[in-house]
Amino acid sequence: MSSEKKPSLGSVMVIGGCGFLGHHVVRLLLRDYTCSSISVIDLRCSRNRRPDSDGVSYFEADITDASKLESIFTQAKPDVVIHTASPAAQSNDSVSHALFKKVNVDGTAAVVEACRKTGVRALVYTSSASVMSDNRSDLINADERWPVIRGKDQSEFYSETKAAAEELVLAANRSPESPNLLTCAIRPSGIMGEGDTMVLYHMINIYRQGRTGVQVGDNNNLFDFTYVENVAHGHLLAARALLQTAASSIVPLDHERVDGEAFLITNDSPVYFWDFCRAVWNAAGSPMGAEHVWILPRDVGMVLGYLSEVFFAVIRKPPTFNRQRIIYSCMTRYYDITKAKKRLGYKPLVALDEGVRRSVAWFLEQEKEKK
Amino acid sequence: MVAAKTIVYLLCHPNQLRSIVQWKVWHEPVHRRDPSKETPTEKSCFHYLNLTSRSFSAVIQELNPELLMPICLFYLVLRGLDTIEDDMTIDIKEKEPLLRNFHNLMEQDGWTFDKNGPNEKDRELLVHFDDVIAELKKVKKPYYEIIKDITVKMGNGMADYALNAEHNTNGVNTIPEYELYCHYVAGLVGEGLTRLFVESKLANPQLLVREDLTESMGQFLQKTNIIRDVHEDYLDKRRFWPKEIWSKYVDNWDDMFLPQNRQKALNCSSDMVLNALKHADECLFYMAGIRDQSVFNFVAIPQSMAIATLELVFRNPAIFDSHIKITKGDACQLMMESTQNLRVVCDVFRRYVRRIHKKNDPRDPNFLAISAQCGKIEQFIESIFPTQDPKKIAAGVKNANPATKDPGMDTSEALFLILAVLVVLGLVGGLMVGTAWYFGARFDMVLNDVQSKFAGNALSTTGSPSAVPSTFGHEEL
Repeated sequence: MSSEKKPSLGSVMVIGGCGFLGHHVVRLLLRDYTCSSISVIDLRCSRNRRPDSDGVSYFEADITDASKLESIFTQAKPDVVIHTASPAAQSNDSVSHALFKKVNVDGTAAVVEACRKTGVRALVYTSSASVMSDNRSDLINADERWPVIRGKDQSEFYSETKAAAEELVLAANRSPESPNLLTCAIRPSGIMGEGDTMVLYHMINIYRQGRTGVQVGDNNNLFDFTYVENVAHGHLLAARALLQTAASSIVPLDHERVDGEAFLITNDSPVYFWDFCRAVWNAAGSPMGAEHVWILPRDVGMVLGYLSEVFFAVIRKPPTFNRQRIIYSCMTRYYDITKAKKRLGYKPLVALDEGVRRSVAWFLEQEKEKK
Repeated sequence: MVAAKTIVYLLCHPNQLRSIVQWKVWHEPVHRRDPSKETPTEKSCFHYLNLTSRSFSAVIQELNPELLMPICLFYLVLRGLDTIEDDMTIDIKEKEPLLRNFHNLMEQDGWTFDKNGPNEKDRELLVHFDDVIAELKKVKKPYYEIIKDITVKMGNGMADYALNAEHNTNGVNTIPEYELYCHYVAGLVGEGLTRLFVESKLANPQLLVREDLTESMGQFLQKTNIIRDVHEDYLDKRRFWPKEIWSKYVDNWDDMFLPQNRQKALNCSSDMVLNALKHADECLFYMAGIRDQSVFNFVAIPQSMAIATLELVFRNPAIFDSHIKITKGDACQLMMESTQNLRVVCDVFRRYVRRIHKKNDPRDPNFLAISAQCGKIEQFIESIFPTQDPKKIAAGVKNANPATKDPGMDTSEALFLILAVLVVLGLVGGLMVGTAWYFGARFDMVLNDVQSKFAGNALSTTGSPSAVPSTFGHEEL
């Protein structure tokens, strides 16, 4: 990359730029692109902050505060907005539901509005591959033709709000109110990497608690995990494509257009679910193979999950183990990313095994520092 | 003695026996050669084909008549070249011109060669090579040109390797060198075959454009053989595993075979298997371009054998001290499955890929890369034979009405199940107790007993509390 001339993206704004994905977007902008300016909006800008020498401007703001957002946009004058902000999808109670709605839907609406008012040319929104999942059925080599699952069919409220926001963003593409704003959405699957507090955190926890000896299901279910740098790369390719479309006088053909489209992004290398877990555990230091593993059939797992739900309902606590977890660990869920490869020229920069090595090394380093 | 052992083995493995019987009884070749209409030289060619090839002679003889003789002769010409190259009793000064001029020699009527050492196993073929030459003259011009072109390339490649002292003393170093070697011994054959298939209109002409697919077919077979034959080659003082790979695990090639290095050697072998697996999806893609059943069988059988062999050698320490092979029964089953259609062959590939994945060891440095490669092959199969149809799924989402209920267990159903189990338990228990009472069991005594036990426990606050009930218990029993 360094030997070639780095492509230019003009003035870029990263919303959620101190978050897990967002700070990798900022890092890649600095490494692989030339930008006239880079600005970041986040709730708190102390963590994952670039050194001052990188020249990134940080703005602390809540994206649901429309007027504040607009004033920052007026000041930073972005050509490109990468909107990665979203609350962690960890809990599933009414408080977090309200938060998901507020940040994902209302916040995104405010971002779209600010883009319209300040003449932003390209908006890339971080959606999620989970918008296509009903959290029960398999997704086998699914691509963007598969339906987005909404309303009562969508059992995860988080995914429902991500889908609603994606719809808002895509509807804003070349809309009558702002014909010059081009938008698209990126749907990553299973993001993991440095800064990850979800996938890796839970998996390494299982290893620390010595619970690597059980496998539910036959482990023939393929799953897409994606190294964060590749996700960030996908976003920036999309931004670049949108700018190119904006600069061109003709509307692209249907089979090559990027604006108004959603793109699945993965590592393009689905792996068997429990293999991924074991790779993480071994990277974290586990000396075990798979001989000690006790294989629990999925149906037995479902009964145990149900009993656990009943038990926790009786003692009135949220269950730590439930049927949904069993379903997730036995579900086939992988995607065909031909669309992103053809239209964005996307190809993962970092292979999955290297991504796991880097991420787990980072995680262990963090643990050491905390001690 | 060997036969007796085989019979005992097959009796203990009825599935293997069944596959063998099925293949022998039910396999119906698409085409069968007709020896009654053959000339003596044709008969002689098939005689040498049977003599020199165990794995290919049967499938070649079932080929479409259009390609039967051309491919049989193609095989014999290459086998002839190989017999000269292999023979270490021929001096290099004599060998080199023979290899480089073989395409001319095979045009001279009556040319034969009897200077092979007495132990060279296929020397008879060259002693009677005039029969092959006679038949080559009858081959259609376009087919002949292809055979000749590959013979020129192969002969020169063999001569180059024979002269390459570095290769002969140190073996293969880098991965590109390894793949170049595989290209000469297998990729070129594949190129010739693809051109013959397309020339005879039995394959999609696109295969000529996608040369990489043809190359993968050869690489996949050759790499599999190289992995399987590692011990045999070691005994012959030859090494085809590239240093670029094995040097990650051991310092000297000889160390690979030391028992204390078995784990390292296994990890190295899985690196080699990973490298070979990279070609599997392209092999399936290639086979999708074949338009004739007999040609499909001809190309699919070796590929299925190769994926099964890769599964056999994967994380198998036996490859370092013996020569292992897939069983006769498995081979017959694979041949059955490879003589149908692409879908069945894809199922074979998926089955073996999943077995490889099951044997994969998390402690192996290639663990996740192998898992990803297996996933990639499964994904490719899914892309040609999709399980899901987005239109149907979209329609299903729209029409989702209460009638199409969640197939999973919901709470009320589960509660009902548990209740039903309890009721049945109570009924059966009650029935048993009732029957016992009817036949005169004295439950009142048991109850008294229990009462006195509890009373006894409560009284013995001092002394040994556990001793009391146990003595009670023993007396009652």
